[in-house]
Amino acid sequence: MPVYNFKALPTVPSASDLLDVVLSKTQRQTPTVVRGKWQISRIRQFYMRKVKYTQQTFHDKLGKVLDSFPKLDDIHPFYSDLMNVLYDRDHYKLALGQIHTAVGLIDKIAKDYVRLLKYGDSLYRCKQLKKAALGRMCTLMKKQKASLVYLEQVRQHMSRLPSIDPNTRTLLVCGYPNVGKSSFMNTVTRADVEVEPYAFTTKSLYVGHMDFKYLRWQVIDTPGILDRPLETRNTIEMQSITALAHLRAVILYIVDISEQCGYTIAQQAALFHSIKPLFANKPLLVVCNKTDAQAMEDLPQKSKDLLEEMKKAADMNCAGLTASMVVDSSSADGGLVTMSTLKEDGVSDVKNKACEMLLMSRVDQKLKTRKTNDVLNRLHVALPSTGVRAPNIPKSVLANAKAGYPKSERKTEKDLQEENGGAGVYSMDVRKNYLLEKDEWKYDKIPEIFDGHNVADFVDPDIEERLAELEREEEAMLQEEENQMDEESEDDLTAEEKQTLKKIRAKKSKIIMDHRKKKQKGQGSAHIARKHDTERRLTSRRMRDELGEMGVDASAAIERNRGRSVTRRGKKRALEDDEDMEGRSKSRSKSRSAVLGRTHSSKSRSRSRGPSVAHSAEPGSGFKHSAQKMKAQILSDKMQRKMQKLARKGEGDRIIPNEMPKHLFSGKRGIGKTDRR
Amino acid sequence: MPQNEHIELFQKRYGRRLDHEERQRKKEARSVHKKAEYAQKALGIKGKLYAKKRYAEKVQMKKTLAMHAESDGKRRSNEEPKKGAIPAYLLDREQASRSKVLSNTVKQKRKEKAGKWEVPLPKVRPIAEEEVFKVLRSGKRKRKQWKRMITKATFVGQSFTRKPPKYERFIRPTGLRFTKAHVTHPELKTTFCLEIIGVKKNPNGQTMTQMGVITKGTVIEVNVSELGLVTPGGKVVWGKYAQVTNNPENDGCINAVLLV
Repeated sequence: MPVYNFKALPTVPSASDLLDVVLSKTQRQTPTVVRGKWQISRIRQFYMRKVKYTQQTFHDKLGKVLDSFPKLDDIHPFYSDLMNVLYDRDHYKLALGQIHTAVGLIDKIAKDYVRLLKYGDSLYRCKQLKKAALGRMCTLMKKQKASLVYLEQVRQHMSRLPSIDPNTRTLLVCGYPNVGKSSFMNTVTRADVEVEPYAFTTKSLYVGHMDFKYLRWQVIDTPGILDRPLETRNTIEMQSITALAHLRAVILYIVDISEQCGYTIAQQAALFHSIKPLFANKPLLVVCNKTDAQAMEDLPQKSKDLLEEMKKAADMNCAGLTASMVVDSSSADGGLVTMSTLKEDGVSDVKNKACEMLLMSRVDQKLKTRKTNDVLNRLHVALPSTGVRAPNIPKSVLANAKAGYPKSERKTEKDLQEENGGAGVYSMDVRKNYLLEKDEWKYDKIPEIFDGHNVADFVDPDIEERLAELEREEEAMLQEEENQMDEESEDDLTAEEKQTLKKIRAKKSKIIMDHRKKKQKGQGSAHIARKHDTERRLTSRRMRDELGEMGVDASAAIERNRGRSVTRRGKKRALEDDEDMEGRSKSRSKSRSAVLGRTHSSKSRSRSRGPSVAHSAEPGSGFKHSAQKMKAQILSDKMQRKMQKLARKGEGDRIIPNEMPKHLFSGKRGIGKTDRR
Repeated sequence: MPQNEHIELFQKRYGRRLDHEERQRKKEARSVHKKAEYAQKALGIKGKLYAKKRYAEKVQMKKTLAMHAESDGKRRSNEEPKKGAIPAYLLDREQASRSKVLSNTVKQKRKEKAGKWEVPLPKVRPIAEEEVFKVLRSGKRKRKQWKRMITKATFVGQSFTRKPPKYERFIRPTGLRFTKAHVTHPELKTTFCLEIIGVKKNPNGQTMTQMGVITKGTVIEVNVSELGLVTPGGKVVWGKYAQVTNNPENDGCINAVLLV
């Protein structure tokens, strides 16, 4: 359900304002600097952007106007007719249609000129085209001046229209001019409508609100209607006709029986009968106003008859709606409804009656729809079982109530207080209600601080249990420790042995310490670089001493270690020594040099041969002869060399650590090579 | 008065404040200074627009003042000629004052009469071929330069079909083809958007005419059947010549004057 709020319509700018806004926006929001030396495509793009931006801004601004204004075919017929009456439907539609066409034309112009700009071959030409495009758009908008002005006026008027909800509960007040419609409105609601003693004071629809049965009601005051054909009615009257025709409301037809308004009762009755078709399907109430000036009883019979006739017609009208209402309205007073808005006499009766009628008719109409059946099928109203449903009071209570309640023996605190000097003097004994193991403990004194501890910190209901548990645990632990001690006690060692044990342990821990230190320095490898050995402790002498201490002969190891740096001369001697040794010992602890010497050399071999290993091809190694093996060795060495030079992990490692080294790719390239800059 | 016009309602019920008129007067008196202050302060496009508006207002005001003054002058010139001899150099003054009397409308009419017999555009700026024909490079290496694109507005007949690219020397791009022209009838002072039938003559040469290039000063033939012109013999005229008065490639449209 749409909400009819025309107050939020955006303002419609006048044509000249719109042009200023759009053009200055284009100026502000698109780049402004262009140079003739730019590439032509850039210049074209620069101007195309301007053209497109202007078109887009026009499109947006006008589109907003078109979107916000209500479409007459979509809104409630009441509003669409009211707008027809007030602003002329054709004019309204034409104005909106013209704006719509203008938007389309602007879009087309922009498209054409953007296409032309694609062929622009100079800055001058592009600029001229842009100018022509914007100029044509502006000319188009200037031609819409009248429509825009009209729409702005419509907007202003619409924003001041009273916000009438066409679907809510409504009282609609109508009648001849100056019969007291507005005064009724003023008494019933807080609308504060103007009331003047001349015809057509009210020139448009007015809305007020009131409460009845905790519901919100809308009262609409309409301008007076004259009795003449529809074609000759003016705009003011047409507004009330529109309201009468389209609003589902209770209609209060007000008759001035004093005829002070300048129209006779006969005339008013004639009007009533002529606009009767508008009352169809609506509850209708004929109200006689101004009883203060002319009493109902004093009316001539002729007038009374006329009023009766109107009343009957009204009842007939209502009869079509509901059966119940006829009974109700005829039985209410059997006559006409009268009021005096001046003295506020019977106004609330009129109001109540009208509201009742409308409520009933609305309920009836709702019941007639198909929806109600769906709801009623699902409804179940639970009713209490019939019979007396007296309260249930126990018999004992009843008996007690009759006999009077026995006085209780127990002394309450209040009684004690009364006995011992009343409130303020008596202080209640709290301790007597303590729940302790023994009653005599109740009044024992408890210190706050005991042995420098706050007693309250140690108060714990299960402290005894927990303490006992702790003690048990400790005992168990002590027991266990004792058992262990028993197993390996040092008690049975002699003093000398103890000394040795101490030494052994110290040594052990030292070794561990040293090892750890070494491990740290060498980073896990067996060899330690000389630079790490700052204290010069990793010497062969020390090794010999230390191993000797442990009872190991380290001379061979030292010999091997020394072998590296020994001169040829020395080596020769060593070889000779080895030959002597060959016979005696075949121990595995031979120095490397000694092993090498033996494999390679016979005594007849010339000195020039280098110390190479294993030249003979072993069976099963895949080589035919040693030469082949050697060749393979050389080849693999060659491969390795390259890989090692480039620090590769293996053949598969093809990583390029720095793809673009800075020094090769920065700076100017002079006469030199690309790899030297 | 509609329901929600609270200010008007209040004024109707309780009137305005007592010094309202005085305040209005003062406000109006001050408005001149306010405007001047704004005019000096406003910057940029706003300032430009405002200055332009003020200038237009001033011109308008001066014109109206001048008009009033002129009517005053008219009365003065009707004075009796002075008696006695007047030197020759003073005779001229009287003449001048009388010429001033001529109203603007008469001047306008004279101007129009003079203009009626003029050819719309007797002279046009010659346009070089280089300007009209843009060289297009073709071939795989873009070495060949025998193709030309026409950079001016053109008219291409409806039955025209392009040649195969190998033989198409001159390209008339579709974006620059025009079929309609805004033609002004010089006597009726009205403009119609009419269809172009053909290019009669381009002042820049035969090739241009053949190519259908439309530049300023070109004579084109337009379809005037909508105008309902009739020959003295009673036949309906449907083709008429018109001269182009603008640069179509710069303005994106063709404006022309009907040759009557």
